[in-house]
Amino acid sequence: MKFGIFYEISVPRPWEADTEYKVYQNCLEQVRLADELGFDQVWAVEHHFLEEYSHCSAPEIFLTACAMQTKNIRIGRGIVVCVPQFNNPIKAAEVAATMDLVSGGRLEFGTGRSATWTELGGFGADPDETKKTWDEWTRIIPKMWTQERFSYEGRAFSMPQRTILPKPYQKPHPPMWVAVTSPGTELDAADRGMGSLGLTFGGFAEQEKKIAEYRRRIKYCDPVGSFVNEQVNTVNFLFCNEDNMYGARTGQRLAGTFNYLAEQLLAARQAYPTRSYPNLGLLPALRREATSSPEGQIPEGLCIGNPDRIIEVIKKWEAVGVDRINFLLNAVETVPQEEVLASMRLFAKEVMPHFAQKGELAAVGGGN
Amino acid sequence: MPLVGTRSLSTLASAAPVVPSLQVDRWELPNARILQLMYEIDATAMQSLIPPALHPTIPPTLVFTVTSFPESPVGAFVLGEVRVGARSGARPRGLLLQAYVSTPEAARELANRWGYPVEVGECRLEKRYDRIHASVIHGSREILTMTLLNPEPISGNDVQYLASLNLARITRDGTEQLRLIQVDPDYTFKAADRGQPQIEAFDAAAWRLDGAELNHPVSASCCVADIMMPELRYLVDPDKPPLAAVERL
Repeated sequence: MKFGIFYEISVPRPWEADTEYKVYQNCLEQVRLADELGFDQVWAVEHHFLEEYSHCSAPEIFLTACAMQTKNIRIGRGIVVCVPQFNNPIKAAEVAATMDLVSGGRLEFGTGRSATWTELGGFGADPDETKKTWDEWTRIIPKMWTQERFSYEGRAFSMPQRTILPKPYQKPHPPMWVAVTSPGTELDAADRGMGSLGLTFGGFAEQEKKIAEYRRRIKYCDPVGSFVNEQVNTVNFLFCNEDNMYGARTGQRLAGTFNYLAEQLLAARQAYPTRSYPNLGLLPALRREATSSPEGQIPEGLCIGNPDRIIEVIKKWEAVGVDRINFLLNAVETVPQEEVLASMRLFAKEVMPHFAQKGELAAVGGGN
Repeated sequence: MPLVGTRSLSTLASAAPVVPSLQVDRWELPNARILQLMYEIDATAMQSLIPPALHPTIPPTLVFTVTSFPESPVGAFVLGEVRVGARSGARPRGLLLQAYVSTPEAARELANRWGYPVEVGECRLEKRYDRIHASVIHGSREILTMTLLNPEPISGNDVQYLASLNLARITRDGTEQLRLIQVDPDYTFKAADRGQPQIEAFDAAAWRLDGAELNHPVSASCCVADIMMPELRYLVDPDKPPLAAVERL
């Protein structure tokens, strides 16, 4: 089990001159601490126009800053929106390769297509097209990285032969992921040999079924990249405190605030009738399910509370087949920065050792 | 936290219908044809159109609906609505402050049963092969004309409808209270089309939406569905903050 942190970068109103600056600086401070504490990865979304919920429209810049201020933590584009009105595939390949070079080979490359009308409408993108362009891009970007000269005649994108530069530092190329919000996208990931970057929080039983099917399908995949990235990555909330009730209450406040903000957005399906978005995407259903619970109880799958409770929860996630968990640490600064940092420290001290890799355990114990 | 509305609805109280009882029978309305368009509106009005109990959507929207009911307990009628897209807490809702319906019998029943703030008007819905067109005329003024151009078949499962919050008055403990009545019908879809949305005429004031300026078309759909009008389950106190405003019946 590997642990990471995950950023939407939510910014509370009122927006004063330095509000966004403070939030970004808080995030960078958390990333530096995460690197020191041994967290494995930091992910940042690409969202546009999502007031308060996410002010993270240039994640490649934020993640490059993260890379420059850290030594080991891997940096995850979570995700590149593979829709031509948002991005260009050549540019996406070039930027990713540059990030991989300057970070010393620490890039994880996530792909996706956006799920809100707020964003799709803002860029003038056709919701019917997004799945198709995503599929086309995920097949050509790894070739742009690995072929000395690249040319392509496609449906939504074509280019004459050129040398796309630079090439990534990791060979053959960085691991590739798919953002999974709509049911069934985890199967798209499996069929293409890509990692499943889960962005919803569904409970154990639901995730176990999905992961089992992902594992089964990926055995027969036709990988879009040069290798199969069979990994299941999920998102969770983290608030770790010695006082279980305080930790749970604070964590539930964090989760509730985050979900409430997400519900204010206009999902693609709510605005535009299309088969391309069969459910509400990043929005409500699974998050609500995962964060609701009988009165007085902590939702089963959330990593909130004291270290013992969080260890128990993560062991269950491990048992259902999750390889990595990325944590949302805050939402619109609901939790004071000092408490976020303390939560991370306590998690690293008390929880992480229970999930150390075999090699790391041997090193801690001196080996045999 | 998200923005909330700033509008006091008390100035509209005298025009809001009085709902004599919150216990109403369900109505089954077969083979209704529903033309619905969504437009984004200028953000300067997004808080001034809705009360403090609601959040605006991002971006703010209006939802235009004209529905033809060929059969009902009060005969055939056509209903025109323009609703403001909003959130009641975390739930998507459409705020309805004024509607028009083609017959006085339907006006009376919709107001009495589900709190529709409705007046009688000339409402029409016409389906052709190249377009689906609707209009609402009140007095001699055309207050809404809208068209779905180039219809193409889709699945009814791809269409989503908002639950309405209808501005009405109720009586509790002998006192009259202004409330938003949640109306969330069930739909059984039989056919659906979508196409390009086009609004040819919209008189915002006639729908009690002064200041709403359309600035971007979003979508248009037209469905045939059996509609089950619901029992009343929730009210919203328009003046309370969103998380304190919902009242369960």
